[in-house]
Amino acid sequence: MILAVLFANSDGNILIERFHGVPAEERLHWRSFLVKLGSENLKGAKNEELLVASHKSVSIVYTMIGDVCLYIVGKDEYDELALSEVIFAVTSAVKDVCGKPPTERLFLDKYGRICLCLDEIVWKGLLENTEKDRVRRLIRLKPPVEP
Amino acid sequence: MASGQDSSGTTLMDLITSDPSAASAPGASSQQPSSSGGGGSLGRPAPAAADRKSKRATLMQIQSDTISAAKAFNPVKALPQRNRKKKPVSYSQLARSIHELAATCDQKSSQRQLVNSVFPKLAVYNSVDPSVAPSLLMLHQQCEDRNVLRYVYYYLARILADNDSQGLSAAGGIPTPNWDALADIDTVGGVTRADVVPRIVDQLSAESTSDDVEFHARRLAALKALTSSSTSSSEMLEKLNEIVFGILEKVADSKQKRKKGIFTKQGGDKESILRSNLQYASLSALRRLPLDLGNPAFLHRAVQGIEFSDPVAVRHALSIISEIAVRDPYSVAMALGKSAQPGGALQDILHLHDVLARVYLAKLCHSISRARVLDERPDIKSQYSSLLYQLLLDPSDRVCFEAILCVLGKVDNTESTEDRAGGWIRLTREILKLPEAPSVASKGVLSKASEKSSKARRPQPLIKLVMRRLESSFRSFSRPVLHAAARVVQEMGKSRAAAYALGAYDEGANLQAYSDNVESLDSDLNENSQPEATRKAKPPSNGHGGLDTVAGLLASLMEVVRTTVACECVYVRAMVIKALIWMQNPHESLDELKSIIACELSDPAWPSSLLNDVLLTLHARFKATPDMAVTLLEIARIFATKVPGKIDADVLQLLWKTCLVGAGPDGKHTALEAVTIVLDLPPPQPGSMSVLTSVDMVSASDPKSAMALQRLVQAAVWFLGENANYAASEYAWESATPPGTALMMLDADKMVAAASSRNPTLASALTRLQRCAFSGSWEIRIAAVQALTTIAIRSGEPYRLQIYEFLHALSLGGVQSNFSELQLSNGENQGASGTGLGSLISPMLKVLDEMYRAQDELARDTRQHDNSKQEWSDDELKKLYETHERLLDFVSLFCFVPRIKYLPLGPTSAKLIEIYRNRHNISASVGLSDPAVATGISDLMYESKDAHKETPTMQSGIDPDLAMAWAAGLEDDVWENNAPAVDKVKDFLAGAGTDAPDVDDEEYMNSRPSAGYDDMWAKTILETYEADEDDGRSSGGSSPESTGSVETSISSHFGGMNYPSLFSSKPPSYGASQQTIREEPPSYTTSVLQKRESFDNPLAGRGGRSSGGRSSGSHEDSEKSSGNPHSGKALYDFTAGGDDELSLNSGEDVEIEYEVDGWYYVKKKRPGRDGKIAGLVPVLYVSS
Repeated sequence: MILAVLFANSDGNILIERFHGVPAEERLHWRSFLVKLGSENLKGAKNEELLVASHKSVSIVYTMIGDVCLYIVGKDEYDELALSEVIFAVTSAVKDVCGKPPTERLFLDKYGRICLCLDEIVWKGLLENTEKDRVRRLIRLKPPVEP
Repeated sequence: MASGQDSSGTTLMDLITSDPSAASAPGASSQQPSSSGGGGSLGRPAPAAADRKSKRATLMQIQSDTISAAKAFNPVKALPQRNRKKKPVSYSQLARSIHELAATCDQKSSQRQLVNSVFPKLAVYNSVDPSVAPSLLMLHQQCEDRNVLRYVYYYLARILADNDSQGLSAAGGIPTPNWDALADIDTVGGVTRADVVPRIVDQLSAESTSDDVEFHARRLAALKALTSSSTSSSEMLEKLNEIVFGILEKVADSKQKRKKGIFTKQGGDKESILRSNLQYASLSALRRLPLDLGNPAFLHRAVQGIEFSDPVAVRHALSIISEIAVRDPYSVAMALGKSAQPGGALQDILHLHDVLARVYLAKLCHSISRARVLDERPDIKSQYSSLLYQLLLDPSDRVCFEAILCVLGKVDNTESTEDRAGGWIRLTREILKLPEAPSVASKGVLSKASEKSSKARRPQPLIKLVMRRLESSFRSFSRPVLHAAARVVQEMGKSRAAAYALGAYDEGANLQAYSDNVESLDSDLNENSQPEATRKAKPPSNGHGGLDTVAGLLASLMEVVRTTVACECVYVRAMVIKALIWMQNPHESLDELKSIIACELSDPAWPSSLLNDVLLTLHARFKATPDMAVTLLEIARIFATKVPGKIDADVLQLLWKTCLVGAGPDGKHTALEAVTIVLDLPPPQPGSMSVLTSVDMVSASDPKSAMALQRLVQAAVWFLGENANYAASEYAWESATPPGTALMMLDADKMVAAASSRNPTLASALTRLQRCAFSGSWEIRIAAVQALTTIAIRSGEPYRLQIYEFLHALSLGGVQSNFSELQLSNGENQGASGTGLGSLISPMLKVLDEMYRAQDELARDTRQHDNSKQEWSDDELKKLYETHERLLDFVSLFCFVPRIKYLPLGPTSAKLIEIYRNRHNISASVGLSDPAVATGISDLMYESKDAHKETPTMQSGIDPDLAMAWAAGLEDDVWENNAPAVDKVKDFLAGAGTDAPDVDDEEYMNSRPSAGYDDMWAKTILETYEADEDDGRSSGGSSPESTGSVETSISSHFGGMNYPSLFSSKPPSYGASQQTIREEPPSYTTSVLQKRESFDNPLAGRGGRSSGGRSSGSHEDSEKSSGNPHSGKALYDFTAGGDDELSLNSGEDVEIEYEVDGWYYVKKKRPGRDGKIAGLVPVLYVSS
């Protein structure tokens, strides 16, 4: 289960968040936990370098793409490595939408698109589409494989 | 809710709206909604990042100024847009523009606006209110633009997904304003969710069932949107099922016929592509439906799914199947039929380009190959295990690791020790025979293929494959890979520990067979099968064999693992340490692990949650191998000394306890020693940053951790007092020495000598406690004195006398001067008594005084009776018995003693009391008349026990060991029901814990740049929360959990259930005094003063009562014996509604004092959980 996907800017302001199976009262904890994690570790990180953390049986993989931090939280089959797959899918979709590793401004300009991409990649707590092309087609309301 | 955006300055919406294309041109740059980034109007620099990159920002500023100036002349962009020039658009504005634009959706400009500005901004909100649904539906029907439609599906799905309670919606974002507030929207007012959802569902289901090729993509999208609706209503579920199965019926079966054509898929004709898309959509929908166990159609469709050409569809199919296989492996195996055979569909998945699909395949193979129900079908099982073993060769680490975990027998955390042990044996013995090429496999029959491939490739022992793979993973640079690899090693350690735990009786014979098998298969393995066999047979002789033995392989792996400790990520390091702990064998040297941990802990980067996690790992390790108790305690000690401020003292204590019990009779001494070493630590010297490499050096350089260390020492002292007797197996009620003998040895030196020769464990514990009673801080001294009293009461002579003398000296204060030169003064006012403990010690001394006096009297009386050859008269016996009971009550106030066995008057009194009891038919039961219970000393701690303990104690008396274990809460039973630390351990052991992490290192919260959340919408949510937390938990702005400030230590010490001491009974006044402590600034002296008060209060009350009881017999007893006519019993549970009311549990005994207006004023025997002992309850709730 992918419990959370969260985008934040470098100051820790949350830009997009999607939770699944996380009770409302815990989301706050997750938010601040993740943001704190990012503020402590993402400063010197390379672009798209994957960082990892864990809390009890929950794994967290996070990274920095352009000016935007991306955190993904998962459990069960979505362990660190599976989350890395998810994060690859998300970052490549974001880059695809933005054309490059986004600045915060660019990210916000493409906000709607990115939300749609996310909708195609992680849906109801499960990884859905991973291929960039497929995602691109789907957010334009084309079938996953073009006839 | 709407305040989410109003009160917090810049919101996410501001950030988004501040883009130039949206703002109308003239003066755009001056109309930024917030103070952030001056040059935002070009949309270039991130507003908040502006200060960081000031140079660039200035550049941008210039540039944007130019551009906006240019724009002013050429206001093409100033379309008649909605009015969001000055302010960010509000939700209602967005909603309104959707309604407007939906009406004109055939115009290109409206479409563009929708796609470019309205819909993206709507995405900022965390839910979509139903009032926009009609417009969305209109768009859905009339609009043709794909981009608009995609958004429409997105929002329709979100409307469907919104559970009735907003908080549960998956999407985060700005809280959507209250829907009622939107009622003024003119187009559609007051639309509720119930109105629109059926319409949405109808429209979408109609679309998703239409076969029109034109609408192919829309059909897929509609189906997806439909599945996001909650499946909790059976009606909806039925509808969904109908649609999904309807589609599958059409597309899945036809696939079956043309199965052979799959391999030519990519260039397939249009029809097959359409089908494959539909297959994908329907399976992905099926995956989201609740698992329909026992429905053959459901399983059938899923099984068909693994042959689909769409990889995502296959993944979903496999995940469904693997989930069903966990519950019902038999029917899954039957349904899958031959697909696991070479050439079958499952074999194709090995080469499918989808990682998760292969992960699910591994899970599926594992559950089928381990299924008991398939025991009669070894052929099936072997097919699946061979598939599983092949996955070990998978190029993806994720898949390979999953396969290793499956081989090791780890699926979730519910598997039994046997499973895990079997897993380890499987890993070390089994051989991968069929790493065949797919082409070979798909052509040949099973036997042929295996022959061929075994010629083509050597069979490989699994362990070698795995080790090689892991070693190479540990050389990776990717942190997730390192973390995962360490986790796999940890799981290996678990399985190995399980194998060792069962090893004694398990697998000895089996092994030979296995290794024969190995030999026959591969001569290469000849040399290692033999040593392996011997190694297994007698695990201790686990030397570093050649590189080919399992031990050798493991050793080289562990070498690599250890180097990973150098990773800069603490989480990886934590996982590595956990792995090392798990791979540590009881018989191996511990030094390396210890030094690694000691080094690690010197790193300040470790968050406390992670350290506690490691501590819990120790716990789990202990559970797996009780032999390791002492070893683990050594490690735990490192934690206590290195990072006292970061670990949870409760968890540590629990570890001590479990280890003490688990260490067995021989290890008890060592275990206790390991605990008490904490006490031998020199008191932290503030400011001295001495060498940190030594394990025993305390690194509590800052006041915070110094405090925490104090708390830890306090905990250790308490622990020692509570458990020394258990560890030393020394109990007063078993002591053979008659008290008279001890009285002869009044010379202190002789006494100590005698004591230590008789029981070194107890003697050393005493020495340590005595030292603590001198040195250490005030609270440690208090705890030490309490601990000493406990030991005095529980032990026989000469210990009791030794402690008595010591306490006596302490109360006079004379000894302090002797010692004060040795210890640095800690700047406290020592008080008039010299130690400041006089008032505390006196009641304790009084108990002992009374006991000795009574013993003297008894001795005298006995002599008299003996001399005059008189029988004891009934009155005399009665007097004796009363003294006995009184002393028992008195003693029970200080610590728990088994009432039946405990003889405050010494062993000689046993007979006489027995006689009296027999004569008067007094049962020696404990139960509620025990004042220890009645006054709540053992509240919480023993409560759960009482219920099922009472009966056996009545008849048989308690086994002293058991009693002590019970007293100290050592038994699993007790600790499983109680302390909060236990929950942590239990959660941890169960592998549970998806709850949110506790980020309350307020250090962070406080030190965080104010630019952080402060201007964000999220802050508004945070604010209330933080305020609450601050009030409730920390008065000094320091992190409450990690520092263990004085306040926490008090509350936990005297309120926490881990310390069933005299003071844990909360008299009503206690709550109040605690309150005052919290409100005080956390200055050390005040809290000490406060604390003294809170100590004295209960004590004075108690002392008064008991000394009063001396003249009139025990107060309570007299009341009881006079047969108070107003005693009653609670008939039902009652929860207090006000301050003067009293909560009751049904069945509780109470004393009714008086009646007022339908209320009884009652008194309980002991204070309830809320600390109240008396109050009003409704008359009807009590039977009088």
